[in-house]
Amino acid sequence: MTFDYDLFVIGAGPGGLAAAKKAASYGVRVAIAEQEAIGGTCVNRGCVPKKLIVHAADVALQNQMAYSYGWSDCRTAFDWTKFIKSVHKHIESIHRSSSQQLQKAGIELIRSQATFTDTHTLEVDGRKVTADKILIAVGAKPILPKIPGIEFAITSREMFHLPYLPKRLAILGGGYVGVEFSSMMNAFGCEVTIIDQDEMILSGFDDDLRHGVQEGLTRRKIRFIGNRTAKEIKYSEESLLLTITGDSQNIITADTILIATGRAPNTENLGLEKAGVELGEKGAVKVDEYNRTTQENIFAIGDCTNRLPLTPVARSEGAAFANTVFGKKQQKLNYDYVPSAVFARPEAASVGMTEAKAREKFGESVKCYRDRFQPLFSQMTKEGEQATIKLVVEGESERILGAHMVGEHAADIIQSLTVAIRKGITKKDLDETIGIHPTTAEEFYLFGSQ
Amino acid sequence: MTYDYDLFVIGAGSGGLAASKRAASYGAKVAIAEDDLVGGTCVIRGCIPKKLMVYGSHFPAWFHDAAGYGWKVGEAELDWEYLMTTIDQEVRRLSQLHINFLNKAGVELIKSRATLLDPHTVEVDGRKVTADKILIAVGGRPFKPDIPGMEYAVTSNEMFHLKTQPKHIVIIGSGYIGTEFACIMRGLGCEVTQLIRKALILTGFDEDIRTEVQEGMTNHGIRFIQNTEVKGTERLPEGLKLTLSGELEETIIADVFLMATGRIPNVEGLGLENAGVDVVPSSMEGHGYGTMNAITVNEYSQSSQPNIFAVGDVTDRMNLTPVAIGEGRAFADSEFGNNRRVFSHETVPTAIFSTPEAATVGLTEAEAREKLGDDGVKIYRTRFRPLFHSLTGASDKTMMKLVVDSNTDKVLGAHMVGESAAEIIQGVAIAVKMGATKKDFDATVGVHPSAAEEFVTMR
Repeated sequence: MTFDYDLFVIGAGPGGLAAAKKAASYGVRVAIAEQEAIGGTCVNRGCVPKKLIVHAADVALQNQMAYSYGWSDCRTAFDWTKFIKSVHKHIESIHRSSSQQLQKAGIELIRSQATFTDTHTLEVDGRKVTADKILIAVGAKPILPKIPGIEFAITSREMFHLPYLPKRLAILGGGYVGVEFSSMMNAFGCEVTIIDQDEMILSGFDDDLRHGVQEGLTRRKIRFIGNRTAKEIKYSEESLLLTITGDSQNIITADTILIATGRAPNTENLGLEKAGVELGEKGAVKVDEYNRTTQENIFAIGDCTNRLPLTPVARSEGAAFANTVFGKKQQKLNYDYVPSAVFARPEAASVGMTEAKAREKFGESVKCYRDRFQPLFSQMTKEGEQATIKLVVEGESERILGAHMVGEHAADIIQSLTVAIRKGITKKDLDETIGIHPTTAEEFYLFGSQ
Repeated sequence: MTYDYDLFVIGAGSGGLAASKRAASYGAKVAIAEDDLVGGTCVIRGCIPKKLMVYGSHFPAWFHDAAGYGWKVGEAELDWEYLMTTIDQEVRRLSQLHINFLNKAGVELIKSRATLLDPHTVEVDGRKVTADKILIAVGGRPFKPDIPGMEYAVTSNEMFHLKTQPKHIVIIGSGYIGTEFACIMRGLGCEVTQLIRKALILTGFDEDIRTEVQEGMTNHGIRFIQNTEVKGTERLPEGLKLTLSGELEETIIADVFLMATGRIPNVEGLGLENAGVDVVPSSMEGHGYGTMNAITVNEYSQSSQPNIFAVGDVTDRMNLTPVAIGEGRAFADSEFGNNRRVFSHETVPTAIFSTPEAATVGLTEAEAREKLGDDGVKIYRTRFRPLFHSLTGASDKTMMKLVVDSNTDKVLGAHMVGESAAEIIQGVAIAVKMGATKKDFDATVGVHPSAAEEFVTMR
């Protein structure tokens, strides 16, 4: 039997795009369907616009510190509307370059939803197309809790289209999305409250990292209320009233309520049942280590599989899938040392095991090195921001299981340490590495040396 | 024979401080002599105040770039005196901190110059003290070539104490010190001219670093005068007049004239000859540049006199703070800690805190090609506009480069120009040191969006 395509990809996010391009490089016929803007969550309502807002927010923070370095206070004014317009203009330029890349790679882009009618057939744009292999890369979307008045709340998606800045912002959920927005919006002058069901923000990260970020946010007057869940939202006199319960019941008054309580795979309305593709927990597509679903010719990668919902992971899964299926190179991803960052101020980043996870696995043989210090830049500022670095090591050899950091450049520093940590280096290897002076990163080589 | 001390250290800079504290931690009786502020070049007139000035110099560009991010920022003015005073206070605070560390470690600090009288005797404060072992860690100093009117020039030492902000500064020298000051002064709003003897700055670094930094600096409004030397200087009512020779024979008027043509070891007046400590001459190239002497040492930092050692810039091996510290600690471990070891000078990462920033570890492309031949080397290079500048309209680019052994796939060198280069190369340094291959880089998952992720996604 012949098919219209060798590979049909559903969803043009980072994972789908990477897979499509890699597959096309092996000479196969590829189509990719996208019903929304090309680029997926990362480009349109995630990493990219978020990081640009972080940069805009940094201007406000830098301005406060300029004084400490001898610069006169100067008048500043921020125009959110103008700014967010430039952000979207930049995103459009990314769309154009992505489309061009697809064209160059000979990949057909179909601007439509795609639904399965059987294991090899999809309905797109009202017509049927067939493909030998099909890749599901449809990503995820924010989850909204089922509480009365939830229609008054918004998700991260709408944050990038706010017509103006709210004066009072309540954020439900202290994960990295909520924490990042709290940091940016506070810098723009919003009064921000984070509410989380846990007692601390950033659940899942190392405790020292969680403490470090939370302390930094608190210092910036971002309010955190832990051990609470949302009960209802009411609209009254131009304000939103958010009722939260838990340790006690409170009502938070806000102009905007952001729901950042998690994301769920976009696996509804795909007709997966017609193709014999099974779903697991939280509606995630079930896959094996080679990204194969319960249907032999259908694969899935990225956030819709709910493994590690990060752009570089989706890209790597996409490339690994294409290499395995079309490139005759069996390849699977190692999820042990995937670094990740929280682009709050203070910034945080992490790779490998948290202390808690390591102790669970290795017990007594785990040891931690922790240092908290004031980076050189902050020694001159009255804010006096602290940085935290931490290594989780195991056994006699002190093999490094995890590295965690809070402070400026954390993402870049952890990223570059990851290459070595993946190789199974020890604390002694770090000790023997020579520093660049003065940097923050050199502190990773100076634990306990005096 | 008993001595007053087990170890006497001359010079409380990075190397001396590290060695003295480490030796004391093994129970040795240690004294350290310093006739200036404790902390040495790094803390007092090097790395630390320099980096603080770098931080200060970045604000105007920030404010300018902010326009692309929806900000209107008024003209900010620099209070030069405030910046200089605050940096000086910070330097003094750090110096005091180092004194506290010495106290805590039980090292006796003697605020005096020290001169060797014989292999075991030192004169300090007009008295004689004896020590079993002596460590010379007196550092280096900026060198001014012998050119007419050189008394009007300042060196990096004085740059931290300029009373007023210069309007126009001329910097002679293409090394990292001259380059960093050019960027600092430009960032702070001065007109800057950098005079270089050849076509490119930063000799010895990878070609791509050299061209990228120079191009970035030119874009920021620094004027380079290439292939040119200074013939003389005189003071005129309107400022310092510099007469040039070379490609451009114009005269230049400036209010500050910084000589950044190299540093020389502080070997004079130490009484080295009384103690049998040999120096090696090594001549600096070029017109008007004298001959310099450095203390000669073996791989254990031992001088020609077996009980006398030397670490840091006075030995002119690799003049970097972390190297002096490493040498100092290796010396103390070997001599007092029952752990004889050599400090390796290989794969030492370094940074240039210019704007754009640059950093490097391992072999340059040229070094690798010389070693392995053209076929033995594979280069991965990327040059891109960082996400931040997608909204600012600035032309600043980031450049990253991996030098790979094409037979073994081992990464021999990593070079970067752009924001956070030093922080990023620092982390990459350990991978390079551990013998990571290009495949290891490729197999590393990125952090998105960061600058560093580009190092693991190079094709």
